[in-house]
Amino acid sequence: MSAAAPTAPGRAVTRLAARQVRRPALVVAAVTVGMSALVVATYARTVGDPAAAQALAALAGNPAVRTLFGEPVALDTAGGFAVWRTGTVLAVLLTTWGALATTRLTRGEEEAGRWDLLLAGRLTPAALLGRHLAVLTLAMASTGLLLAGALTTFGTPRDGALLHATGLALAGLTAVAAAACAAQIFPTRAGATGATLAFLGVGLLARMIGDGVSALAWLRWLPPYGPLALSRPYDDDRWAPLLAFAVTAAALAGVALVLAGRRDVRAGLLRPPTGRAPRRWLLGSVGAFAVRRAVCPLAGWSTGIGAYFLLIGLLAESLTGFLTDNPRFADLAAQAGFAGLGTVEGYIATLFALLAVPVGAFATARLAAFAAAENAGRLTLLHAGPVSRTWLLTAEVVATVAGTAVLVAVAAVATWAGTTTVGAGLPLTAALAGAVNVLPVALLGAAAATLSVGLAPRAVATIGMLPTAGGFILKVISDSVHAPAWVGSLSPYAHLAAVPATAPNWAAAGVMVTGAVAVMSAGNWAYVRRDLRL
Amino acid sequence: MTTSAIRAHHLTKRYGRLLALDGLDLTVHAGEVFGFLGPNGAGKSTTIRLLLGLARPTAGHARIFDVDAGDVAAAHRLLAYVPADVALWPQLTGAELLDLLAATGPGVDTGYRADLVARFDLDLSRPARTYSTGNRQKVALVAAFATRAPLLVLDEPTSGLDPLMELQFRRAVTEARDNGQTVFLSSHQLAEVEAVCDRVAILRAGRLVDVATVPDLRRLHRSEVVARFTGPAPDLAAVPGVDLLDRADGTLRFSLVGPPGPALRALAAADVTALTVREPSLEEIFLDYYGQTDR
Repeated sequence: MSAAAPTAPGRAVTRLAARQVRRPALVVAAVTVGMSALVVATYARTVGDPAAAQALAALAGNPAVRTLFGEPVALDTAGGFAVWRTGTVLAVLLTTWGALATTRLTRGEEEAGRWDLLLAGRLTPAALLGRHLAVLTLAMASTGLLLAGALTTFGTPRDGALLHATGLALAGLTAVAAAACAAQIFPTRAGATGATLAFLGVGLLARMIGDGVSALAWLRWLPPYGPLALSRPYDDDRWAPLLAFAVTAAALAGVALVLAGRRDVRAGLLRPPTGRAPRRWLLGSVGAFAVRRAVCPLAGWSTGIGAYFLLIGLLAESLTGFLTDNPRFADLAAQAGFAGLGTVEGYIATLFALLAVPVGAFATARLAAFAAAENAGRLTLLHAGPVSRTWLLTAEVVATVAGTAVLVAVAAVATWAGTTTVGAGLPLTAALAGAVNVLPVALLGAAAATLSVGLAPRAVATIGMLPTAGGFILKVISDSVHAPAWVGSLSPYAHLAAVPATAPNWAAAGVMVTGAVAVMSAGNWAYVRRDLRL
Repeated sequence: MTTSAIRAHHLTKRYGRLLALDGLDLTVHAGEVFGFLGPNGAGKSTTIRLLLGLARPTAGHARIFDVDAGDVAAAHRLLAYVPADVALWPQLTGAELLDLLAATGPGVDTGYRADLVARFDLDLSRPARTYSTGNRQKVALVAAFATRAPLLVLDEPTSGLDPLMELQFRRAVTEARDNGQTVFLSSHQLAEVEAVCDRVAILRAGRLVDVATVPDLRRLHRSEVVARFTGPAPDLAAVPGVDLLDRADGTLRFSLVGPPGPALRALAAADVTALTVREPSLEEIFLDYYGQTDR
C-alpha cells in the first residue's frame, strides 16, 4: 500500500489556518509596531521639554480627556506617552481584527461548507477549532513580541514595553476567544461577528466611563480594554490586571472548545426557526433590494456611531473648558492634529473629522459585500435578468451613499443631543454642518471602493479604506515627522475646513465631490467591461 | 426562414494563455430543445457565460434572437437562466427569492409558478440558508420556467435533483417546447438529454465536434451486433467498419460503424440463426468521442 504518511492531520490544518491569516496578520503587526515606534521616536520633538511634561501631568485630572483618550499615565516618558497616544487605537485595531478574523476563519468557513471536508477526516470539531485558535494566538503573541522589541530598541524601559505589548496581545486574544464562543452560538458568520463587535463596543464604553467617572472606576476590570488602563505601563507596571485578562481569554476559549464538541456541524446553539412568513418589503426592483440589504448593517453602524458621538457631545463642555484653562494642551493637541479644541465648535469640528473614517468604512464594507456576493455567485441570477450591469452597480452605490448620509446625520443629531444635555449650546444646524462637511471625504472612500469593484474586486476593503483611514494616518504622520507640505496635502483631511468653527472650504469640497463622482463613473465603466467572477 | 434563438459566430474566449473556447459557430433554432454536451473543462460554461453577457468574448459575437448578447438589458428580456451552482441570498426565504427574481426578471406567470412550486414540492417558508443543493436548484428552476421566457438557458439544472424531481423537470421542458419556447440544455445526464433534446452539440477542448439530431448521431456511430450461427464462423476480418468484440462458440459480437451492407453480405455466407442489432446509447456515443482519445 502506498498511502501517504497518515501522521499529521492536525499539522495540515494548522498550515491551512496559517495561510489564511498570515497576510492580514502581517499588516496588523506592521501598523501596531510602526505607529508605536513613530510616536516614541518623535516624542522628544513633541513633548520633550520638562515644562511641557510637567503640564501634561495635569491632564490626568480631567475626566473628559480621560474618557476620550484614556487615563494619561507616565506622560513624562516616551513609553508612557506612546501608550497614551496609541494604546486605545491599537487595542481597538487588534481586537477588531482578531474578532473579524476568528469569525471568518471558523464560522465563515463552516457556513460555506468547507469545514465539512476537514471534519470528514480524523479531526474532531474541537481539535479543528483549537488549531485555528492556536494560529491566531501565535499571530497575537508575535505582534506583542515585535512591539515589545521595537519599544525596547527605541529606548523605553524593558518592563514597561513588555507589559504594554503583553496587554495589547491579551486584549486581542480575548477578542479572538470571545469571537470563537460567538461562532459556536450563532449559526451565521454575520451573527457571530455582530455579537462579538457588540461585546467589544460595550467593553470600550465601560473603559471610557470607568476612566472618566471615578465612582465607576471598577468598570475598568471588564475586558477587553479596561485592564489595559489598570496595568499602567511605564509607571506602576502592574501585572495583576493582565492576569485577569489571561484567565478571561483562556476561560472563553475553553468554553468555545467545549461547545464545539456539543453541537451539530453547521448549526449553532441558537437555532433560528426553520420557516417563517415572507417579508415582501423592498424586493420589487434591483434598487429596492440594494436598500433592503443595507438596512440592517446601517442600523448597526448607526448605533455605534450614534453612541460614540453622543458621548462626544456629553463631554464637550468639560473638555473645552479644560483646554481653555490650559492653553499648553491646546498647543500640544494642535501638534498632534487636533487644532482648535478650546471652543465647542472647534472641538466638534475636530472630532467630526474622525467621523469620515467609520462612515468611509461603512461604504467600503457595503461595496466589499457586493464584490463578495458576486464572487459567491449570489448576483448571477440578478445579472441574468434584464438589468444592465451599470444599473446594478449604480443602485448599490446610490444605496451606499444614501447610507453614508444617514450615518452623518445620526452623528450630528447624537452630538447635538449630547451637547444640549450638558448645556454646551451647539445649535443643531451647526452640528449638521460640521458632520456634512466630512461627507466628501467619505464619498472619496465610497468612490475608491467602487473603482476597486470594477478593477480589483478582491481588494475592495483595502482600496476603499485608502482615502479615509489611509488619508488620516498620512496626515497624522506627516504632521508628526514634519514632512514636506506636499506630502500632507495628499491627504483629503488637509483640505477639510474646521466646520462649524470656520466656514466650509467650498472649493475643496467641490473638488472632492466631483472627483468622487468621476472615480465612481470610472469604476462603473470598468465593471461593465470586465468578466464577472463566479 | 426559421428564426434562431441563439447564433454564435466564431465565438472565442481566452483566459490568459488558456484558450477556453475556440471559434464556436452555433445556431439554435427557435422552438427546439438543444442539448449541449462535453466533458468537464470543454468550454460549456464559458459558452453560457458569453451567451449571457457575464463574460466578454475575446473574438466573435453571439446574438440572442437578433439582440447582441452583450446588450443584457435587451437580451435578458428574452431569456431565463438556471446556473449550474445556484447561490441564493441565505437570509431570504424561498417565497421572497421568487418575488425578487420575478420583479427583476423578464416577467412571471404567477399561476404557472404556483403550479410548479407544488409539482417540485418546494417549501417556500424556509430561508435559503437551510436549502440543500437540490432545493436551491428547484428555486432557480421554478423561477426560470415561470418566466415563460422565449429562451431558457439551463446549465446542468438537474445535477442535485432526485429521479422524481427529474421527471418533473422533463415535464416542464416538454411544456416549454409545446409552448414554443427554446431550451438550451447543458447537461451530463445523457439519458435526460436523449429523452428531451431535438438536437445535440458536442464540444471538446473548446471546439465544436458535432451538431446533429440524436438519431443522426446514432447512425454515425457504432451499433452493436450479435449474430448466432451454426457451422463455420463468418469471416468479418476484411469488412470495413467492423470491430470484433467477442467470439464464442456459435456467437459473434462486433461493433459496426457506417452502412451495414458489407457486414450483412459477409454474414449471409454463414448459416445465421439469429441476429440482433442494438443502437448505441448517447452515453456510448459520448464515450466514443472522448473515451479513447485524449481530451
